[in-house]
Amino acid sequence: MRSTRVARRYAQALMKAAEELRTIDATAADVETIGAVVRSSREFRRFLSSPVVSVARKKAVLLEMFGTIISPVSLSFLDLIIKQNREPLLPEILEQFAVLRDAQMGVVNADVTTAVDMTPPQLRDLQNALEQQTGKKVRLKVHADPSIRGGLVIQIGDTVRDASLTHQLERLREQFARGASLSH
Amino acid sequence: MAEVRPEEVSAILRKQLAGFEKETDIYDVGTVLQVGDGVARVYGLTKVMMSELVEFPHGVFGLVLNLEEDNVGCILFGEASKIKEGDTVKRTSRVASLPVGEQMLGRVVNALGLPTDGRGPIHTEKYLPIERKALGVIQRQPVKEPLQTGLKAVDGMIPIGRGQRELIIGDRQTGKTAVALDAIINQRYTHTPEAKQQGIQPVYCIYVAIGQKSSTVAQVVDKLQQEGAMAYTVVIAATATDPAPMQYISPYAGATLGEYFRDSGRHALVVYDDLTKQAQSYRQVSLLLRRPPGREAYPGDVFYLHSRLLERASKLSNELGGGSLTAFPVIETQASDVSAYIPTNVISITDGQIYLEPGMFNAGIRPAINVGISVSRVGGTAQIKAMRKVAGRLRLDLAQYAELEAFAKFGSDLDKATLAQLRRGARLVELLKQGQYVPMPVEKQVVSIFAGTNGFLDEIPVEQVQRFEHDLLELMDLKHAALLKEIAEKKDLSDAMTASLKTLLTGFTASFKASVKA
Repeated sequence: MRSTRVARRYAQALMKAAEELRTIDATAADVETIGAVVRSSREFRRFLSSPVVSVARKKAVLLEMFGTIISPVSLSFLDLIIKQNREPLLPEILEQFAVLRDAQMGVVNADVTTAVDMTPPQLRDLQNALEQQTGKKVRLKVHADPSIRGGLVIQIGDTVRDASLTHQLERLREQFARGASLSH
Repeated sequence: MAEVRPEEVSAILRKQLAGFEKETDIYDVGTVLQVGDGVARVYGLTKVMMSELVEFPHGVFGLVLNLEEDNVGCILFGEASKIKEGDTVKRTSRVASLPVGEQMLGRVVNALGLPTDGRGPIHTEKYLPIERKALGVIQRQPVKEPLQTGLKAVDGMIPIGRGQRELIIGDRQTGKTAVALDAIINQRYTHTPEAKQQGIQPVYCIYVAIGQKSSTVAQVVDKLQQEGAMAYTVVIAATATDPAPMQYISPYAGATLGEYFRDSGRHALVVYDDLTKQAQSYRQVSLLLRRPPGREAYPGDVFYLHSRLLERASKLSNELGGGSLTAFPVIETQASDVSAYIPTNVISITDGQIYLEPGMFNAGIRPAINVGISVSRVGGTAQIKAMRKVAGRLRLDLAQYAELEAFAKFGSDLDKATLAQLRRGARLVELLKQGQYVPMPVEKQVVSIFAGTNGFLDEIPVEQVQRFEHDLLELMDLKHAALLKEIAEKKDLSDAMTASLKTLLTGFTASFKASVKA
């Protein structure tokens, strides 16, 4: 909880800086690059979080790794994080930036659960339908869960659209239980 | 017994199925970040509203109390042990509600209205929100009908009216619950046809047990059952094992149930036993939600906790049906300290208080009411005329007696007037003693107090006063029931009635004195 707040502040700062310099796309690409390295290399994460390594050494390493491939803004952002001793938060900061980027681009993530795997045409139809409904670009994340028996469950943000068979059966059971008297 | 044929069963099932519509359910969710101590922090639930009910897995419900920047703080009504981090929490889009209706009478329920007496589910039609705003000024009218508690000390000098809030305050084990229970038991009379004839409306009672031992609550229910009071009483029990959130909302549930009766033109009495424990539960919940502590570690809005509860007790205007909800909040003091935080808060909210003192209790004066500092801000308007007439002197005599009590130790070295006052006072104190669970109807109280304030006890030894009263009332029942009935119906003591009362008392006193000497 608390770390999300801090991470969000840093991400917002980066986004604002990028907006002012009109380099949002470039910055977003940089964040992707850095994110890929952070995710793939455990050594890199440990290196960054280590209190034993000096600030100067960390800055030097980052410059060598990213100096030529990311923009100056992104580089100074990394320097800032090191200076403020917020290296352990870097993965989360990058995550929060991605969230802000999605919001800025009008993209929403949709978690779709189906009982059986869907075919590509079905997925395309679903994507179109959701995009029409939400008015935003939809990034689908689909996975199959046989326990819902049929239908689908779509979660966008905090809102869940539940059209699964299990849920319908549950509602049917509740309805029966409520109207249980024969003198109905 | 008619049997249901298989075809009928299928037909009914088919009918049920036909009415079922397949539709997509849309609900908002969040994820549990942290759970413990009856409090859960939830991530997500971005559109949730304050005080909304949310649903956790395993049928546990929670109430949203903290809306923070990145999480929502909820208090749990139920077993927190089944909730894990990562569980999904659903919005219900409704506030906490209680089932209300006459079907609740005679039952013991928990703070959410679910029965806990093992006698099956309660089928009510209506649900009312637990938190409701109290009525404004225009919807009310001044309190004017009496609520008879059956205790001479109370009905005589600290009279309570329907729609009043009267605090019962005292140390532990001083008889606070006893006063409230006697008041509940005394309402049995209001449900009889005689009462209806006399223009007395029935009073429905709600006893809210907050943070008490389950055994104590069981004893209370048992006693009420024995006295036939459960027929018009609901017991809402949030005992010591119930989670603090349940103890916190239980008085509001009681108020909601009382309001149901009040708003339908009827009268209700709700006893909150006791609000000290509710304040402690609220403090626990607030501290766990990391709200800043104030005086005595209570949160800053502990006054509002009680004021919004007690403001719901009122007498409605005639346009709204003239119903009423009377409240008896109970507060337990520590070492008679009435200037502590919570007691002073509640004293300033209520329309008077009944002080119970441990010293008096231990000296055998029960109910241990200190009449000198007990007050009813409604006063005489809540008494029948007859009682007003006879009890007028009572307070004065007792006050004078209290002043002179210190001199009683000197014995015979006092002037006649002082001695007379001491004699009178001692006998009045003895007269006001009353047993538990024997509330007295108002007409008998009038006769009893009449005898006391008009000097008929002055020649009787103090130890014989209780027997005097007992025999007198027995005589009234046997030979002068008509006079009692007249007092009850007319609610006044005409000169003729006063004269006949004086005559029979003179005769009775003489014969009683003779029997004492013998």
